[in-house]
Parts: sequence; structure tokens; C-alpha cells
Amino acid sequence: MKVGSPTLSGLLTLLALGTAGLAARHTEVARQSVPRVVGSQQHVTFNRDIAPIIFRNCSQCHHPGESGPFSLLTHMDVKTHGRQIAYMTSKRIMPPWLPDPGEPKFAGELRLTDDQIATIQKWVDQGEVQGNPADLPPQPKFVVGWELGRPDVIVKAEKPYHLVASGTDQYWNFVFRTPVHRTRWLKAIEIRPGDKRLVHHANVIVDRDQSGRRMEKEPGAGFGGMELIISSETFDPDSHFLFWKPGSPPYVEPDGMALRLDKTTDLILNTHLQPSGKPEIIQPTLGLYFTDKPATKHPILIQLDNDRMLNIPAGDKNFLVTDDFTLPVDVSALAIYPHAHYLGKDLLAYATLPDGTRKTLIHISNWDLNWQAVYHYAQPIDLPAGTKISMRFTYDNSADNIRNPNDPPIRVMGGNRAVDEMAHLWLQVLPNESADATADPRVAIEEALARHHIQNEPGDFEAHYNLAAILRMKGDLPGAIDQFEQAVRLQPDDPTANNALGGMLLASGRTDDAIAHLNTALKARPDYFDAHYNLGNALAAKGDFAGALAQFRAAVRLNPRDAGAEANLGSALAEVGNLQEARLHFERALQIDPKNEVARENLEQLNRDAPGRPN
Amino acid sequence: MKYPRQSSFVSRIFLIGSFAACLAPFAWAAGRAQGTAFDLAGNPADPLKMSAGKVTVLIFVRTDCPISNRYAPTIERLSAEHEANAAFWLVYPSKDETAEVIRKHDAEYGYKIPALRDPQKVLVKESQAQITPEAAVFDAKGHLVYHGRIDNLYQDIGRARTIATTHELEGAIQAALSGKSYAPGESHAVGCYISDLE
Repeated sequence: MKVGSPTLSGLLTLLALGTAGLAARHTEVARQSVPRVVGSQQHVTFNRDIAPIIFRNCSQCHHPGESGPFSLLTHMDVKTHGRQIAYMTSKRIMPPWLPDPGEPKFAGELRLTDDQIATIQKWVDQGEVQGNPADLPPQPKFVVGWELGRPDVIVKAEKPYHLVASGTDQYWNFVFRTPVHRTRWLKAIEIRPGDKRLVHHANVIVDRDQSGRRMEKEPGAGFGGMELIISSETFDPDSHFLFWKPGSPPYVEPDGMALRLDKTTDLILNTHLQPSGKPEIIQPTLGLYFTDKPATKHPILIQLDNDRMLNIPAGDKNFLVTDDFTLPVDVSALAIYPHAHYLGKDLLAYATLPDGTRKTLIHISNWDLNWQAVYHYAQPIDLPAGTKISMRFTYDNSADNIRNPNDPPIRVMGGNRAVDEMAHLWLQVLPNESADATADPRVAIEEALARHHIQNEPGDFEAHYNLAAILRMKGDLPGAIDQFEQAVRLQPDDPTANNALGGMLLASGRTDDAIAHLNTALKARPDYFDAHYNLGNALAAKGDFAGALAQFRAAVRLNPRDAGAEANLGSALAEVGNLQEARLHFERALQIDPKNEVARENLEQLNRDAPGRPN
Repeated sequence: MKYPRQSSFVSRIFLIGSFAACLAPFAWAAGRAQGTAFDLAGNPADPLKMSAGKVTVLIFVRTDCPISNRYAPTIERLSAEHEANAAFWLVYPSKDETAEVIRKHDAEYGYKIPALRDPQKVLVKESQAQITPEAAVFDAKGHLVYHGRIDNLYQDIGRARTIATTHELEGAIQAALSGKSYAPGESHAVGCYISDLE
């Protein structure tokens, strides 16, 4: 009796830190009008001089229902915060825009000119005159409700999060379970975090392995944590930034760059929350917008990091963390997201082209975690193969850094908690069309990245795992087994790595070794469908059909909609002589997937062996 | 009841002697700084007189100032801790924040300490307050001992520590209770300008 080949699902886990994300305005904002230079003799008026600045730069957050703590729409609104506005704009606290001026240009830049700031200051000093009503430009119009219109699917977090009234910032993750019932192409997500005054920023993480659920204490409850690691079963590297920050409209992906959502995909919303002074209830909603146009262009997120270098002595004001990665293929850079925690001070990324030209990719010389964002380039930046991407982040672990979470300062290492540090840079790139249509340039990038991360940190579990998965995909079985073994040595109890290694060992005929690793995987995660399935196959390969039967029964219980598990359960039943039940499971497998060959062939054989059975 | 606008700043410190002699509040009101603060029922209110021999702590706040709102639990906690010997008052200096708006706001933020409206900026001037949130501490004799920040949580707008590491309001209350002067180093309040409410 034929038994289906082992599933190697769980094979390619591309681990993404939860901070992958994005927004920025979709529609290019019109160039800022050249500010009037107000002569010293002339009175600055709200209607003529101030309203255009406020409407263009402030009102999008400062209107009812938005994140701004008060509205800035009328003369009175602005007057009752006039000194405040003059102070905050003069120090460039508002509007919040972290990148330094100059190159490169980003979409939706929110930066006042020096003249605009001086005009506001002068208006306040002169007594905040309203001016001629005829000068007042129309108030900006804001969409009430869903900004992109009614979403195709709306999902609400199952359970709210109760934010305490006071204390330090909180990080909470909401798991949205499989919001689609078939594969859909997502062109935009509108994130409605609830009260926008409380949510500093939020990221959506695409969780193809439903790994977020396993972190919940009870289903739907969500879980805490600033950064998270999720896995993906297939080669589906992170490709999109799904980021929300106050005032940013939802980002609509260009045609051909939609994100695939499968019916098994969960979405995790990672939120950064700030206590407001009163207890708050937060229950975010996501609006999903689909397109019929599947993805034809496949961007990829290149992650530079060097957490191993993060070992910052207490008191160090200028601790440098670097990473350099050389591109194996030609790409266009679309967007960038630098990320550090509270000690981050100066975040710089640049590209050195093969001809020696240096291009700044982003420079934030006054980092502020609270206003972190994804930045889209106004124009894609072409980076040929051989370009070196460099990350140069400096950290201030002294008491002078008032955001320092430790008082007095202590040595700080890399990690996912708010009191740890991070040095990560994500660059969204679109690989150029390859001459060789069979080679996916993303594979070359992922392989180069995995090798790069292993070079930085030989103890990088995820990098070994990912490299193994890529080698396996390229048909290098011994290379893949070697890398999986290194991953398992680093995390001996990790269920995913043990399952993947078990699957590979089984495929290469090392059945006993496979069984040992699959048992380890199941010890760590008893409800692991893939491991039950693979162990069933391994036991069947050894001729232990009773053992295999138990494993396939467990697999079918965990996932009644898997044709392969049903077919293999049928096969095991047939092997132990229970033909009647075997037939039932072959039939079920064919109901789920009429093309399932194992079930079809085995059922045909049963019919030949036992003719005359009524259908 | 209408009150004439206050024409100039008159420090209460110089009038303290006459307060004791004044039993009728309106005689007092007429005899000193012109203008008054109000309780939420609309009655003229003088927190220094109403604090009954305790240290008086005025906290200047504004319903739409996120920094003063964020301090609500801290303010309530300090008030409860010093209930025996310090009387806390929330002071809303805005002309536009009505008693109804303030009541609703205080309920939302769990404030139990009484609120006053100070549309004529009488208490603002007596306290030399400029910012919301800003604290002013008067000793039992009505001398202004301190005005400034509650603690050092904020260094600037948008630049906050994880937790405060110095606690100036606490220090000022202790000083007022023991009859000492109080001169912390940096103690400027960070938040929203009261002068925007003119």
C-alpha cells in the first residue's frame, strides 16, 4: 500500500520580527506652497498666513476622532494653543517627522520650513490676529469612518485589552483569526486601533503559521510583548510593511504588489500603547481591501541587524552598532524602516554602489521611538548588485538620555523587551526582472541574508533554519540537513526545527534519526499536525503501521480538512486490515481534494481487491 | 454675580493678615485682589481659606492637555497620601471649560479631589503658574512655598522618562509641613501654556 510522501511543511520558516510594517500617504501630497515671507511691518493673520500651514500640516491629526489631543481647525482652536504651537514647531517636536532634511526625499514629508515656523512665532507674538475672512482657505475635509470606503472584510479583535491608567508604555498583540475563507489578494489594510490617542503605532504581521495563537493564554486573548517572532511554512519572505501611525492614511499597494492572504493566515496587530491617565479599553478593528489582481511583482524586506554588537556599557553616550550587507542582485529600494528602542540616538543607513557612489538611505539624527515610522521613497532608489547597504546606529546609555529606561543606567544588551535594545533596519526592495526566468531573485537575497546573519552571529537559530530551508529548496539535501542540525543544536527543543529536520532525515532515508526528532517536536508541541503526519510516515516506513495509524489519527483530529492526512490514515488502516474504515478515509480525502493520488490509487486497488462493493 | 476684572497682581502674602480679620467673604473679595475662583456650583471659592489650616496644593490642569491628563493617577495618589495634612484642589484656568465639562472629565479620569474654575486667573497669578499641569503649594499660613512641576517625568513635551526620578511636589509638601523653604534645582513644569487661555 502506497503511503504519501512526507510533508515538509514547516520547512521554510522565515522569521520576521514583528516590527515589519508601513504607511505613509498613498497619494503624493502636493508640494508645500512657498510660504509668504511676512515683512516686519505687516501683521501676520490667521486667515491668510497661519491657516494654510495648520490645515496642511496639523489638522489631519488634530480634528475630532483623530489622534491629536485637541482640534486645530479654527482660529479659536489655534489661538487657545498658540504659544504651545509656536514652541513645539520651533523645536520641531511637531509635526512629527524624524528624517533629517535633504536626500533622499520621502513621500508625504511632514516638515515645516524655517519660514513657516518663524511666521507662527510672529503671529503669536503679535497677538494672534484673525484677519480678513476673505483670506481664509477652505477647511480641509476629512473622511468620517473608513478612509478607503467600506472594506471588503472587517474584523474586530475578539477580546479587548484593558490599558491601565498610568505607568510605563504597554505593548500588546491582538490575533485576528483567519479573516478570509479563500486565498485573497490584499491591496490595503485600514487599521483602526480604537482610540487613536492611545495607540502610538501599530504593525500588522502576517502570520502564516498561526504561531501567534500559541502565545495566547486563552483563545482570542492576545498577548503582550514589544517584538515578536513568527514563522512561515512556505517560501514567503516578508515583503510588505503594514504599519499604522497616527495621522497616516492607509497605504494602498500599487497594482501587482498585493499581498497574498490564505484562509489559514492569521493577522497579528502589534500595538504600542501609552497610558492616558484613565483606564482605557482597546479593541482594534481591521478593514481589509482586496483586489482581483494577484501579485506579479514580489518585493522583499532586507533586514540588517547586529544584535550581538548590542552590549552597551552603562554611561556610554555614543555606542556604535554597524552592519553591512552586499546585495547579490539588482534591486530598487521602495521604503525603509529603521528601528531601535529608547537608547537609540542617531540612526543612519546608506548604500555604497559598486562605482563608489554613496547614497544616504535614511538619516535620523534625533531618534524618537514614539514617532517611528516606515518611510516610502518619493522615487525608488536603484541599487545594482554589489551595492553595500550599511547600517550605522548610535546609542546613548547615559543618564543624560532621559528616555533611558534604567535609572541609574545599567549595561544593556540586545533583546525584545522595551528595556533591551534593538538595532534593526528593514529595507523594502523590488528585485529587478531576472533574465533567468526560473531563478527567483528573492531566493538569492534570502540565501545571502541567511549567510550574512550566520557570519554576524553563528548562534543565529533563525538564520541557520532559513538557510537550511533555502538549501532544501535548491535540492541540496545534505547541506539542508547540516543547517537544520545546527539550528536544532542551538534550540534542542524547538518543535519547528525538529519537525523540519525529522522530515529531511526521513526523506534521506535516516528513518530512526527522523523518528527521534519528530518525537522531540511532539513533546514540545503535542498538537503539532505536521509532526504527527511526518511521524506517521516515518513509522510506516519502518513497517510500524499500528504506530503510524495512531499518528495519522492524531493528525486528522487536528486538521480534518487535510486530504493527505486522510489518505495516509486510510493507507495505515488498510495496512492493519481495517479495509472498511480505510475506504471511508480515502473517500474523505477525495472529497477534500479530488486530485489526491494516494487516495484515488488506493481506493481503486481496494475496489479491485474487493469487487462488488456497492458504491 | 459679576466681578470686575482684576487690574493688577496683588500678592496674597501681603494680605494674609487681613484675611484672618475678614469673616465675610465678600468683604474680603472687595478688599483684596479683584476677582475670584469658583467652585463647580458657581460659588466664589478661595481654596486657601477652605483648606482649614492644612497645606494647600493647587494643581493647574486643562481638560484637553494630554500631559496634565496623564498625571491624573499621580495627582490622586499624592492627594490620598497627604489627606491628613494637605488639601488638594484642581484648578481649571480656562474660561471655556464649563462646570459640566469639568465634572464629566473628572469622573472619566477618576478625580476625587475638588475642582475649581479660575476664569479670571486669580489663583493662576497668586500661584505664578504658567503651565498645565503645574503644582502650587501654600503653607498653612498661606505663603506660596513652591510652584512648578509635579515630578520630572517630562523633560520636554514629547520627551518623557519611563518613570519620574525626582518628585518636587512631594518635596514641597514636606517642606510646607515642616515650615521650611523649598528650592529644588530645575523644576519648570512641562505641558500646555496657561497664557494660551487668555
